[in-house]
Amino acid sequence: MTRWFEDIEVNEPFPLGDHTFSAEEIIRFGTLYDPQYFHTDPELARHSHFGGLIASGWHTVSVGHRKMVDALFAEEERLRGLGQEPGVSGPSPGVNSMDFKAPVRPGDKVTYTLTVTDKRPSNSIPGWGLLFNQLTAVNQHGELVYEAHLVGFSKLRDYTMPLRLRLLLALSKMPVLGKLIRRGS
Amino acid sequence: MTNPVTKDRRHFEDLAVGEVIDLGRTTVSKDMIITFAREFDPFPFHLDEAAAKVSLLGGLASSGWQTGALSLKMLVDNFLSQIASCGGLGFRDLKWKTPVMVGDTIGGTVTIAELRRSSTHPQWGIVTLDFDMRNQNGKPVMSMRLANLVECRKAEAVA
Repeated sequence: MTRWFEDIEVNEPFPLGDHTFSAEEIIRFGTLYDPQYFHTDPELARHSHFGGLIASGWHTVSVGHRKMVDALFAEEERLRGLGQEPGVSGPSPGVNSMDFKAPVRPGDKVTYTLTVTDKRPSNSIPGWGLLFNQLTAVNQHGELVYEAHLVGFSKLRDYTMPLRLRLLLALSKMPVLGKLIRRGS
Repeated sequence: MTNPVTKDRRHFEDLAVGEVIDLGRTTVSKDMIITFAREFDPFPFHLDEAAAKVSLLGGLASSGWQTGALSLKMLVDNFLSQIASCGGLGFRDLKWKTPVMVGDTIGGTVTIAELRRSSTHPQWGIVTLDFDMRNQNGKPVMSMRLANLVECRKAEAVA
């Protein structure tokens, strides 16, 4: 999230926009990364239980990630436009769960939404907060395409470093002492 | 009804827990990283070498989603295209452990962790697969547990 930890509202849906999947891009992604017949060959795909071509789950998820990146950049712009300094987000360590619920067919329009379901300051990384993110993708019929739960990081605005850490940081900037401290930690 | 595409492939009954699938190797080029990032993950540290150098990653690294996509490609080539796979259900506990940098070679194994019949569809089984992806130095880069549907030879209701 491109908002400071303190400014993130829990359970407020953050719309990420939508994407319409074409047969051409479904086949292109499938050929490169998931070459199973129901992702690459519309004729053979008729024999599958899907009854036709469908997008790779990894494709719909990668597009969801792109929508999130675009939305974060746009939010950053919006905050700057208001004269505010945007917050800082950190890299994600992984995904707790990803459930594919409904297939995506050519022409389907998928709408993505990010919701922070919980947040707390990190115990292990001072100055950062943990975000528990839920990502959902829904098709034009209102059916859930996938639901994901992942952890993200966001910087605290009002963080004051404890005196002990501040001292250590200041000392570590002195050439000789710094080397010793870095070796020790 | 027999599926003509998958009739000669291994089915659910032919799989065994503990089977290890070798995924082979893939070398990740600068071109591959930038092409994927442009479409799916356009952060400067996946697109631009200079920006990547000063980032947390310390150099141009692939998107975590690309590392996953390349691992999936290796799984399809070495396993899913040889069994009567009928689609993925999702995954659990995906962890990105070490960034994949330009020129790195990734590879690894997938182990069948679990096999169970679908409780709602007697014609399907669920295979659970554990990924262990590593770089050329043997360092773990990614792990996850994937669930995939497989056609059964004989439909059987689960009691």
